[in-house]
Amino acid sequence: MRSDIPANYNLKVRLFAILRDVVGEGEIAITVPTGATVRFLENEILKKYPQLKSFSNKFVTSVNYKVTSGDTILSSSDEIALLPPVSGG
Amino acid sequence: MSELEDKSGGAVSIFMGNVRNHGKHGNVAEIYYEAYREMAEEKMREIENEVHAKWNIQKLVTIHRIGKLKVGETSILIGVCSEHRHEAFEACRYIINNVKTRVPIWKKEIFEESQKWSDGILLG
Repeated sequence: MRSDIPANYNLKVRLFAILRDVVGEGEIAITVPTGATVRFLENEILKKYPQLKSFSNKFVTSVNYKVTSGDTILSSSDEIALLPPVSGG
Repeated sequence: MSELEDKSGGAVSIFMGNVRNHGKHGNVAEIYYEAYREMAEEKMREIENEVHAKWNIQKLVTIHRIGKLKVGETSILIGVCSEHRHEAFEACRYIINNVKTRVPIWKKEIFEESQKWSDGILLG
């Protein structure tokens, strides 16, 4: 096995509120290559779950409980979630 | 209320948010609240720490309920005990405004024959 070929791994992504309803699951698994960014992951999610495309500018991605930018590089132990606009209180 | 008692505190301000019987889309029967619990608790602690840094606060309580709540039930309770009233009022206002914009909690309004997730604020 060549070491310069990036390994793929599975990331678990939690979904909340309307996003969970639209997908029908509270947690999904997405396969990404080592070094994948949040933006890459979001694109993979939209490919696998096209019903989320109309929400693509209506959620943010949190990594380890912090909202992140698209450039953030992910690791397999990260706690990831897609968060639609909040309405608590 | 014992959580807000402090002998040096001369002011206690309490804010309660209750389930209203109507919304933009009609008469509300119930509200369902969902939270990303771990992150919500972390964000609420962060807001409480900011309050302690901004004002001289003796005691502070923030409780947000999740699950189904009926009209008239309390969804959020904020209590602040401080030496004087100004800090207590200001801290209460700061907490509710920041919970609404920074904490991952979602509300679904349940009407007689339909239900709808509320429009909200995108976390920044």
